[in-house]
Amino acid sequence: MAGSVLAQTVFGLRFQGPVLLASGTCGYGEEYAGLIPLDDLGGLVTKAVSLEPRPGNPTHRIAETPGGMINAIGLANVGLARFRAEKLPWLRDHLQRAQVLVNVVGDSVDDFAAVVAGLEGEEGVAGYEINVSCPNVKGGTLYGTDEQALAGLVARLRQETERPLIVKLTPNVPDIGLYARVCEQEGADGLSAINTFPGMLIDVERRRPVIGNVSGGVSGPSILPMGVYLTWKAAAAVSIPIIGVGGIRSAADALQYILAGADLIQIGTALFIDPAVAADVTRGIEEFVLRQPEPDLAALVGSLQIPSA
Amino acid sequence: MADKQLVAEETWWIELDSPDIARASEPGQFVMVGFGCGNTGAPLLPRPFSVAWRSDAGRVGLLVREFGSGTARLARLHLGEEVLLLGPLGRPFQFGPDEPVICVAGGVGLAPFLFLVGQARRAGLDVSLLYGERDASRVFDPALIESLCGTEAEIWTEDGGAGNAGRVLEGLTPAVDTTVLGCGPTPMLHALFQFTREHDMPLQVSVEEHMGCGVGTCQGCVVRAADGSWRKSCTEGPVFNAADLDWGR
Repeated sequence: MAGSVLAQTVFGLRFQGPVLLASGTCGYGEEYAGLIPLDDLGGLVTKAVSLEPRPGNPTHRIAETPGGMINAIGLANVGLARFRAEKLPWLRDHLQRAQVLVNVVGDSVDDFAAVVAGLEGEEGVAGYEINVSCPNVKGGTLYGTDEQALAGLVARLRQETERPLIVKLTPNVPDIGLYARVCEQEGADGLSAINTFPGMLIDVERRRPVIGNVSGGVSGPSILPMGVYLTWKAAAAVSIPIIGVGGIRSAADALQYILAGADLIQIGTALFIDPAVAADVTRGIEEFVLRQPEPDLAALVGSLQIPSA
Repeated sequence: MADKQLVAEETWWIELDSPDIARASEPGQFVMVGFGCGNTGAPLLPRPFSVAWRSDAGRVGLLVREFGSGTARLARLHLGEEVLLLGPLGRPFQFGPDEPVICVAGGVGLAPFLFLVGQARRAGLDVSLLYGERDASRVFDPALIESLCGTEAEIWTEDGGAGNAGRVLEGLTPAVDTTVLGCGPTPMLHALFQFTREHDMPLQVSVEEHMGCGVGTCQGCVVRAADGSWRKSCTEGPVFNAADLDWGR
């Protein structure tokens, strides 16, 4: 489906299109198999994989917010062993053209390293997205908000793998460029910008938080301008590729990220609104690219023009 | 949307043209009803609704009570307007052809039973319906229930304004080997669970939890199982054997 004008090599991987499905919104692929032609996409990022299975948070886990949603799933996942035994074989069998990035989470550097090491021998893993930015578990953003901890984590994971290592950044820092540079210096191949914003909703009649975890991560269209801004800031700080993510539900949204400096983009919350959105966005980007004097997606990346005053 | 009628206070009967979903649906299954990525107003996310009816002509019926932004938007929908439907989804009610079945509905929990009782009665099965509402203004038109179900519902209202006075559970009599199916507010389901456990009657319930994707990816809609694990109400439910769920909380 994706025409060659959309094909790019990023992190040394060939992406037939720029659209990936975001971690936590597409499970392990299988759940959307009958609904979305997954292998036509640029790729997908799996639900987080931790060393041990995690049951997740109490309910309610999700609720709608103005222009978005709040979630506190709590990184519920099957754990490394079952991911390897049950989930990865399906991905390997069904995705030949789309790239599979495994989202990795841990409570300690050793935890993260053990998950990466445990997947190194496995085919079908194109690279890793390191989740240092989950707002919904204790310590979930620790590595994303402490430069030294982040540097130590990325350096250690760099020793574990030669596969592409992409760090998913939290928006909840004063200067995202600082953290982007730390990742680049320690050998990361790329960045995903951004994860959700911490937030909460209150049921005023019951005087209780709506979300069982009290607070959660806010995603969806309402965070688009912050995501575009932070992608632009991160892109200005580093030369490694960036995957733009946050609130995308149209080709125009995706193109904002691309002009701001994203080589690839991810779609998350919008998948819940319409599973066909990923194909629609891909088609819309292609139409836009073909209208340009130089019909090449790579030429659009970071091509934002800011008029001088 | 092919038809819309106000059938009780703030409660709408909505018919959608969707032949594939109509053909494939089974009682207890649901559809996600949404407005697509081009929609800039609320609601953003699709909402789950039980399939309340289907026709050979390809229509799907929904029972919609205005509660939040999603149901309010559906209530304002005009004939001919389109919505995005995903379905049929989830695990339906399951029972054998020789089992007597009693359906216990609270409020718009009536929806799946309009479909189930109608289908079962046409197949000659022994299925009956108890239906409770807070007051008479909210009671779905009894004549319409009878035409959809092929039998009358036993109606209960808390204020006695329609049908019998009292809670719907008062209409339930112990009967060994009768399967009970429940759909309604959580306190009603709790009471139903206690009753059926005391009288050793098998119970299946349709549960409701905030839902994101509807297809098992986001894990937002989980309910606690008796063994302490979480079950996804979208793909492992929405219909569960009550004995498999944790009723302690």
